[in-house]
Amino acid sequence: MARLETHVGPLRLRNPILSASGTFGHGLEMQHFAPPQTLGGLVSKTVTLKPRPGNPHPRIAETEAGLLNSIGLENRGIEAYLRDVLPSMANADCAVVTNIGGEKPEDFAAIAALLDSRPEVDALEVNLSCPNVQGGKLPFSTDAKLAESVIRGVRAVTTKPLFAKLSPNVTDIGEIARGCEAGGADAITAVNTLLGMSVDWRTGKPGLNTVVGGYSGSGVKPVALRCAFQCARAVKIPVIGCGGIARASDVLEFLVVGCSAVEVGTSCFSDPANLARLAAEIDALLDERGIADLASLIGSVRLPGPPVATCAPGAAPATSAGGGR
Amino acid sequence: MPAPPPDARSFRSEVVSVVPCGADAVLLTIRPEQRLPAIRASRFFMLRREDGLSPAIPRPFSIYRQHGDTIEFLIKVMGRGTSALAQCTPGMKLRTLGPLGNGWPTLSGGGAPWVMLAGGVGSAPFYMAIEQALAGMDSAPPAQRSDLVYLFGAAHKGFLYDVDAFERLGVRVHTATIDGSHGFQGNVLQLLGQLQRDGQLPERVRLLACGPERMLEAVAHFADERHLDCWLSLETLMGCGVGICNGCPIPTNPEGPRGSWGNVKCCVEGPVFKSTEILLGALH
Repeated sequence: MARLETHVGPLRLRNPILSASGTFGHGLEMQHFAPPQTLGGLVSKTVTLKPRPGNPHPRIAETEAGLLNSIGLENRGIEAYLRDVLPSMANADCAVVTNIGGEKPEDFAAIAALLDSRPEVDALEVNLSCPNVQGGKLPFSTDAKLAESVIRGVRAVTTKPLFAKLSPNVTDIGEIARGCEAGGADAITAVNTLLGMSVDWRTGKPGLNTVVGGYSGSGVKPVALRCAFQCARAVKIPVIGCGGIARASDVLEFLVVGCSAVEVGTSCFSDPANLARLAAEIDALLDERGIADLASLIGSVRLPGPPVATCAPGAAPATSAGGGR
Repeated sequence: MPAPPPDARSFRSEVVSVVPCGADAVLLTIRPEQRLPAIRASRFFMLRREDGLSPAIPRPFSIYRQHGDTIEFLIKVMGRGTSALAQCTPGMKLRTLGPLGNGWPTLSGGGAPWVMLAGGVGSAPFYMAIEQALAGMDSAPPAQRSDLVYLFGAAHKGFLYDVDAFERLGVRVHTATIDGSHGFQGNVLQLLGQLQRDGQLPERVRLLACGPERMLEAVAHFADERHLDCWLSLETLMGCGVGICNGCPIPTNPEGPRGSWGNVKCCVEGPVFKSTEILLGALH
């Protein structure tokens, strides 16, 4: 039995497995498939200040190696979340993370202020990066200063641990991550979906009603892993990896490049019980390799020579359990 | 918040047989790891091969028949997901999620006849509906054979899957094909109108329908004009079947009982809806 406990800033998790926002309900809807005691934490679907009806059908389109979605942050708003969902989370035996979204910077702080006093919530994840609102413009996650100011605004109204969820649709994700760190984030979640589209050449019809949407699933894993790696090297705060994770080995890859935990999303759609099995599968893999503590893998990537060219200036030197080569 | 049914589980099933059916479908029989209790007609399962040949997301299929420790699905081969399932061989394992969804309402005997309108592979939820109505559902009086009328329509006879099996159930079966290759020439609603004009069916009937969205829209309109009770089992694109992907919204009728929110999740709040609860026109 390896030690699977991990820490994301001040938050202790029994294992590194979190559900990814928008892929596992708001609360305990999925407890029959994945009991909370098998997870590090549950991350809610994004909650916004006002109810949002979401985007029109079709909202999902399958592609060769993943899924496009354009749900549009459908949710019943913070009032309904506080009233109907949170009370049921009081005894959830895992960390409870509320993911919050907004259209204006002040929306995020307004929601965070309402959640700050709620003991059921262990951390907030700030969704800076939903591609399915504001026409995919991603205003908060493509500008480091704006990202910093949103996080700073949230930080001012809550003492809860704050995760900043970033978009991969940027040139230098490390710069955005540093902005969030400067604004007071306790962790970076890397990453949200990639912007994508599909089309039927016969009919000329795009797969999604909104034409473009968020691409996720196994096809995005290399991009997500690269983003997580670059974030881990750009900031001192922990990084939570997210994107294309389906198997225990995927989780360990994200830890090796520097993540302290991961979020698992699209693979829950093909089997929601998979989330509950991952920790035991990780344990078996670590036992096989004689690794006693999961934490020893974090950041153990062995890089060939000096810092890689794509690494942002000012990045921390590589940390390597085995010594850099 | 809408959640998957508490009896739904994720498990593996073993493929028992894959038998061709009609022009382009198969009957897939699987044996779940653990024997399932009796399942209500028009509930469904998500099926997916885990050997890399299935696409990323599983596909929803209504339960067609249940025998002992096996369950059977009628699968029209349409794309990557259904092709992968149709190419299964006995002994292979499938990821199976279910049972999911709500199923048909109580098909009680003693009232107006139940008219079941099936369009092509939309026949899948009706075989067990007939069996269960004849046996009696939810402590209601069983339906008589003469009170169950099955109207099976398709573009041509190759899509009237397994029609002989329905005839063997002993209920009233009529077929309709657009090209006239089997039974009445036309669609199932035109057939229903004809049977009513001929006096073979009363004006007052209770309707169940499953088939393409435009057919269901027409059935809902027919029921609405005549103030008939009507339930629709929807065949909608789903990403997960358990309410977490939010990819199967069905717009609600703002004046109906579910009108407080703009849509329902087909998978966990359906797939069966009363025709007055939802708005189908927005789906295409």
